[in-house]
Amino acid sequence: MILAALLLATQVALQDPRLDRLDPDTRSAVAAVVDSARVARLPIEPLIQRALEGATKGAPGPRIVTAVRRLAADLGTARTALGNDASAPELEAGVAALRAGATTQILANLRSVRRPLTVALSVLADLVASGVPADSAAAAVLALAPKARDADLVEFRRAVERDIALGAPPGAATSVRLNAGATDVTAASSGNPGTPTRRSRP
Amino acid sequence: MRALALIALVCGAESSVHSVAAQVAANVEAGISDVRYDGFLASAAASVSPTIRWEHPRGRGLISARGTYLRFESGRHSLDGSANGSWFIPLAQHVRAEFGVSAGSSQYANIASFSHTEGEARLHLMGGDRGGWAGASVGRSHFGGAARDVVVIAAGFWLLRNDNSMFVSLDRSVIGDTAYTDLRASGRVRRSRIVLEGVMGARIWSRGGGRGVFGEGSAAIPLSPEVALVLSAGRYPTDVVSGSIAGRYLTAALRVGTNPIRRPAPRVLPSDNPVYGGSDGLNASETRLIIQVRPEDVLLTLYAPGATTVEVTGDFTDWQPVSLSRSDSGTWGGTFRIASGIHHINVRRDGGPWRAPGGTTRRADDYDGEVGVFVLP
Repeated sequence: MILAALLLATQVALQDPRLDRLDPDTRSAVAAVVDSARVARLPIEPLIQRALEGATKGAPGPRIVTAVRRLAADLGTARTALGNDASAPELEAGVAALRAGATTQILANLRSVRRPLTVALSVLADLVASGVPADSAAAAVLALAPKARDADLVEFRRAVERDIALGAPPGAATSVRLNAGATDVTAASSGNPGTPTRRSRP
Repeated sequence: MRALALIALVCGAESSVHSVAAQVAANVEAGISDVRYDGFLASAAASVSPTIRWEHPRGRGLISARGTYLRFESGRHSLDGSANGSWFIPLAQHVRAEFGVSAGSSQYANIASFSHTEGEARLHLMGGDRGGWAGASVGRSHFGGAARDVVVIAAGFWLLRNDNSMFVSLDRSVIGDTAYTDLRASGRVRRSRIVLEGVMGARIWSRGGGRGVFGEGSAAIPLSPEVALVLSAGRYPTDVVSGSIAGRYLTAALRVGTNPIRRPAPRVLPSDNPVYGGSDGLNASETRLIIQVRPEDVLLTLYAPGATTVEVTGDFTDWQPVSLSRSDSGTWGGTFRIASGIHHINVRRDGGPWRAPGGTTRRADDYDGEVGVFVLP
């Protein structure tokens, strides 16, 4: 019965006309991953989109299948951390945060203090991508998450990135902006912006 | 020996940088120079300069150290090293204190050896894109067996405009019976991936520290994520505290290591833009995306100076390329139905490669390229 259900589901995925852009072997492999995700109650649209992205970018079939499988696995990990009631955007943002270096424990901690989490997780991923150590970025987002609005979180991230661009160490920029207060995250700068970096000279 | 110890510390730590926490960054610059110290003949020299920086895991402070080994064509060499640390304490929303210590040493062959130690306190007044500071340092500077007291009083102002920053500072240094005042203006500009930095200054009101103007400039050109070509030249004044004498130089160096190149600076989206985009990617100068959420749809406006065709693709088009229309104002636009949530987008101009547009968060995609990410509330 389970086998029959899987076969039926695979047929459903194969019938998604958007996947016609893939070659038959790739389409079949992607459909299998999609249907496994469907059975696991994971969002399948991100998986289809990842495959279509690969097709548009001219990626070889095996590469597309690998990307889709990896995303499915990461979505599963994110769901484990965020809970079964996490939305598809939250899971996608969770994947980005995990790939940036956040741990599942960090995601679980965030879930306990804030809903929805999409913007918070995206800010976390961006901070890490800007060079902020993952634990520092997570601590900052965790501290802000209970009360800050999404717009506050976005402004916080922008302020930190401005400071980093100015020459402030990423961790220090995050800490100072955080300590400046979530309600006025643009008020303070960080690091030592008044000191230009020393040039290499003999 | 102290300089040797510092350099050994830096070099020894560098090899393990990649295995420790992400808040450690290190790089090494190796280059060749043509240098003329005041009062000496011009000389070619080869240099190696390791640098390491450690940040407190929660960003409360930082420690950095650097050293330079310089070998001249005469066969003589010089060594210098320095280390400093700072601790930051927020006092109010717009005010914070910084306390720091620094130490350094330099040695030229067996002729001259300097060392210094200083403690510093600064008060920073911050705005969103500008700020100022005032502070003082006290310490001791040693030359051979003789020690002199050091007092430096400094104040400055900084200004940030997008990727560009400017600093102006005025400091008065008193080292024993030597005293001088330096006025400096410096700037940092990013053009595409190249970072240009420069400083101009003048030494005035000097007693024993020399007078005159000085200026330095450098260009850091990334060759890969961890390698950059650094070209620098200029004239710098005598630093009585650290023992460096005035000179002119021209240097070409390769910088290799972690975080050797600053990431692309963020550009601020229009304040009325409700969409969470992100920092510009490396191609911010090529395209820039503005996202406007309207009642029925979403308007994407793209700035792509000089382009003859512009296409957009993303999850909201099922990754089908869609040509944008050119407006009278020279921008490119299109309307799309985009649901709230995270979205991925690429644009290309004139049939070129798919890029993450400026105004979105640039991330590596799964296909050896890049993709822009934005969140629609």
